[in-house]
Amino acid sequence: MGGRSLAAAQLLSGLDFKEIYNLKGGIKAWQGSTAEGPQEFNLDLVSGDETPSEMIALAYGMEMGLGIFYQNLIETADDAELKALFTKLAEIEGHHKQRLLDLLAEIDPPAKDIEAYEAAIKPAILEGGFELDDFMQKNESYLQKVSDVLDLAMMLETQALDLYLRFGDKSTDTGSQQVLFKLADEEKAHLESLGQLIEKKFL
Amino acid sequence: MVNLKKLFTPVKSIDNETAKKFIAEHPEGSYTLLDVRQPGEYEGEHIPGAKLIPLPGLKDQLSQLDKQKPVLVY
Repeated sequence: MGGRSLAAAQLLSGLDFKEIYNLKGGIKAWQGSTAEGPQEFNLDLVSGDETPSEMIALAYGMEMGLGIFYQNLIETADDAELKALFTKLAEIEGHHKQRLLDLLAEIDPPAKDIEAYEAAIKPAILEGGFELDDFMQKNESYLQKVSDVLDLAMMLETQALDLYLRFGDKSTDTGSQQVLFKLADEEKAHLESLGQLIEKKFL
Repeated sequence: MVNLKKLFTPVKSIDNETAKKFIAEHPEGSYTLLDVRQPGEYEGEHIPGAKLIPLPGLKDQLSQLDKQKPVLVY
């Protein structure tokens, strides 16, 4: 495995690329989280010419969707440990939303009325681009155990990271790209801390 | 005339740990993560944010890549 990537790396290095690294063993050797879906998956959510504030509103809607998802789970969970975990995950989404508002404040005059800002956004899709209702139904069975919930949270964050970066690739607006890269960096850090949480709890 | 130096340019191969560290330490937008497998393989599983350019078409799609940025390929 990894023969193709070595061939690609050699091709690029012969063409004046400054710095090339080949992942030894290819994807089989990769032990980090992975995303699923074709390259154009959910790319129809953006046109590519969104302004930074439009891009922030889109991301905000996805964070809101996930926040609602966790909020519903907090309300229905019987188990105290699960309830605490959903609360923690909902809190993290709260931080993400605040971060988006901070980013927005760097571009536009700060939104004075958060409620009005949120009211104008339709949180139909989760972070990562999943449909909220559909997702709740399909994943109910994975929401009964702490380890499963953490896995699901990791999966959602990984898909979100991947989607933000593919949005960034499609975007033709440099400012929007910068926003998306910043969001992706945060998802990366967040994924790392979720990974550590899983290790602490289960390994 | 074949340029032997170019044919044998050494490429750094890095393992999983080093690759993870590379991705964690580089801000997004400052490097390219390149997936040269086929679309079906990418769809099944890929490293988040990877750009897909299957090896057979790589030479024709070089304009999609920034030569100044480090490239991590798998």
